[in-house]
Amino acid sequence: MNALQPDNRIACHECDLLMQRPQIQGDQVVNCPRCGSRLISSHPNSAERSLALALAGLILLLPANLFPVLTLEVLGRQQEQTIFSSAMVLYRDGLALVALAVLLFAILVPLCKLLLLTYLSGALHLRRRWPLLPLAMRSYQHLDQWGMLEVYLIAVLVSVVKLVDIADVHPGLGLYSLGALIAVTALSSSQLDPDLFWHQIADLGDPVERVETGHE
Amino acid sequence: MNSWRHGALAQGLLRCHDCSALWPVSLEGHHCPRCGAPLHSRTPHSLTRTWALLLTSALLMLPANLLPIMRVTMLSSQGDASTILGGVIELTKHGLWGIAIVVLAASILIPVGKILALASLLIAIQFGKATNLRQKMVMFRIVHWIGRWSMLDIFVVGILVALVQFGNLAYIVGQTGALAFAGVVVFTMLAANTLDTRLIWDRHLQEASIGSET
Ligand SMILES: [Zn+2]
Ligand SMILES: [Zn+2]
Repeated sequence: MNALQPDNRIACHECDLLMQRPQIQGDQVVNCPRCGSRLISSHPNSAERSLALALAGLILLLPANLFPVLTLEVLGRQQEQTIFSSAMVLYRDGLALVALAVLLFAILVPLCKLLLLTYLSGALHLRRRWPLLPLAMRSYQHLDQWGMLEVYLIAVLVSVVKLVDIADVHPGLGLYSLGALIAVTALSSSQLDPDLFWHQIADLGDPVERVETGHE
Repeated sequence: MNSWRHGALAQGLLRCHDCSALWPVSLEGHHCPRCGAPLHSRTPHSLTRTWALLLTSALLMLPANLLPIMRVTMLSSQGDASTILGGVIELTKHGLWGIAIVVLAASILIPVGKILALASLLIAIQFGKATNLRQKMVMFRIVHWIGRWSMLDIFVVGILVALVQFGNLAYIVGQTGALAFAGVVVFTMLAANTLDTRLIWDRHLQEASIGSET
């Protein structure tokens, strides 16, 4: 390790407490003794587990977006709805920014998160020094909270309850795919070990020259 | 016993926000050698930025709740403008109490509670006594985690507008209240992100060290 970087110690991101890096074996969670925040969520083989889950998520993303989530039937006429169409109608109604928010939080951010996770865990699993790994990891971490698929699923259920008195509502293949996709993304978040990822990224090769000069 | 010495900053180290590597404080303002993120021992202008985002959210709460988020046109009723609270009341009229409580919580209680909770943390850092720190941290974590659930009503509007499109028979149109409400959700999430909780501990330890000296 770099001489500048005392890696035998860690600091809490919520209260700044400096402490010795704990000895970790297997799946283990370490919380800050002072403020209780999650310091380390250790998962050996995090890269392999993440790769499998991210690929499963990418596959499920297709039917979740291509097939209708709900179909409404009124007097023999049918109207289908996909995640994309629920964003586009808002654009049509002159609410471009709201449409953009739905597009981002319910489609683009979940897609980008899965693509970034596939790229990262693929590189770490194959031990390849693919370009821009640190940037990909940082982007994943910053995007994390803006993916809102599970909120969208609850919104679908609320909509069903609101409409069920007035008309016939049928769940579509998109709804089941969405449910499975949420299960997979929730599992992938819980299996991600950012601390391990950062160490493996650093071990693959130092992306910034300044560290190289610090080494030799 | 000066407990502030246990802080990384007090021992001349700063933690990278993105990759959690520790670096000497002399790298303040530089980019992290491991991941490239800008290094800061504390989030720059954390309090000012959080206040600004909170005030914006609080102001947007007014149009978000007063303006309709959608207009429902059906054969029986013509152009019913529906506000968030109106939608909740409508649900209770149909006896759907469970779902009414979910929507009320996501759309009104959570945003209001979130703004008040973050404001109370800011006041504690700047003016008040930094006590009950563990409770404050638990409150902050709940606020941080729960914020995204307020997007619920926006998604509901999108789904309903997309589904109920039957020509003159029945249709729903999205309204500007939805824009203000989406703004509240995004700005409160950003406010929680810019609030640096380490400042609460700094304040607390400062008080403790002054208290022990006198
Ligand atoms: Zn802590
Ligand atoms: Zn870093």
